[in-house]
Amino acid sequence: MKIRSSLLVVASATLLFSGSQSFPPIARGQEPATFQPPSDSEIPSGPFGDLVRKGEHIFTQTGVYARPYVGNDLTCESCHLDRGRKPYAAPLWGAYVSYPRFRTKNNKVSRLGERIQGCFRFSMNGTPPPLDSETIRSLVAYSFWMSRGAPVGVKLAGQGMYRMPRPKRQPDPFRGKKVYAARCALCHGADGLGATSGHDVAFPPVWGPRSYNMGAGLAKVSKLAGFVKMNMPLSKGDTLTNQESWDVAAYVDSQPRPADPRKIR
Amino acid sequence: MSFFRRSVLSGCLSVVFLSSTAHAGDLMNWGKKIAEEGNGSPGSIACMECHRLNGGGMPSIGSPRIAGQTAFYIEHEILGVQKGTRYAPVMAGVVYNLSKNDIRAVALYYASVRTPKLPDVSPPDPALVALGKHIAQKGLWKKNVPACVLCHGPNGRGIPPHFPYIEGQNKGYLLRQLISFAFLKRKDDPQGLMRGIARHLTQRERKAVAEYFASLNPPATAGRGK
Repeated sequence: MKIRSSLLVVASATLLFSGSQSFPPIARGQEPATFQPPSDSEIPSGPFGDLVRKGEHIFTQTGVYARPYVGNDLTCESCHLDRGRKPYAAPLWGAYVSYPRFRTKNNKVSRLGERIQGCFRFSMNGTPPPLDSETIRSLVAYSFWMSRGAPVGVKLAGQGMYRMPRPKRQPDPFRGKKVYAARCALCHGADGLGATSGHDVAFPPVWGPRSYNMGAGLAKVSKLAGFVKMNMPLSKGDTLTNQESWDVAAYVDSQPRPADPRKIR
Repeated sequence: MSFFRRSVLSGCLSVVFLSSTAHAGDLMNWGKKIAEEGNGSPGSIACMECHRLNGGGMPSIGSPRIAGQTAFYIEHEILGVQKGTRYAPVMAGVVYNLSKNDIRAVALYYASVRTPKLPDVSPPDPALVALGKHIAQKGLWKKNVPACVLCHGPNGRGIPPHFPYIEGQNKGYLLRQLISFAFLKRKDDPQGLMRGIARHLTQRERKAVAEYFASLNPPATAGRGK
């Protein structure tokens, strides 16, 4: 707490003395105390650096670099914003230091690689790459590199998704539909199917056959609400109220999407 | 018939009549006519004075390239200038007498034309281009600035219909718009997205982003390749 308040003093002093700029940059929704991952220029050369860079390519262009394992139009970065660096968008620096961990999802202690397999199976609606595949190895290397200096096994600010306080009113998809039309449809489309630029997916589909399936984390209203609250619309994180975030998440998750593969047949 | 139609047009009377009878081709021709000579009302100014007939714009005065921008976007912007939601002191004096139908016609026309990139006022500054490329492709998330390409498409080629292409746009125009969003009265951006983003950037960063996108080659049409 002491550290944080002194950081705030420094931050506000910087704003005061930044001189000519009459509109100081304001980073809403991001605490100054969150972990800072190393910058791109610090990726070392050599085989390890190559694996890290490969991981980043897979991360940002998943359909290109991990094609056999992807079953929809999303990339890792669709949810893990800023190439997996953004606080409250399940940053990789927060993930790496949290595994192995017990997960109620499958009642098992999972390693990070196994957790990433789950991303492919549910969020990417695809096929899990083998644990010893280059895909998993490079994504783990990318996470490892990004978490350099982060304490292991400790709760970090900005780790995972934002945990929403309980809603005042029961989340309502009908109210959420209005929020969606006003704040989300511009990019994700009134039909939720996203948008393309030429042959490339530009805005990810948030429901429908090319979106995450019913088994994904974001198919849980509370998870999606926390993601929306802190991150959506892009550059306007933390501008929806908690209730709006709950409602719009209830609406989006009430829409059709591929079934949970665990529940098929 | 054509005489009749022209007299109706130059009288600029009947939007309703026209839109119910004119085909898209007629509208396109009318749009080209406005681009070339204005809509015929007293004092009307031709778009091509600043945007050229093929929509290449005029980098020397920071007049934007509009060839191949979507009709939806061009129409939306002209309407914004008329309403005063888009800060545009020069354009305001030019488009005030355009009817809704004129605007649709001219938007259709400029969306259909193609033209190569025109030389910009100065060669790209490598240091600024490098910084601009980083902001454009990766963003400055600590300041809540997402990568420009997330909303303007890969390399800024546009995501139709709402997000215009900025790839290969001239630097004077790009910088001026970022300043307008940040400090002046350009407020026609959906949800104030650009106003927030432009404000979060420093002047050097705004300049860098403008330099970067100006250093690229424009797409033939918004949202497509070269």
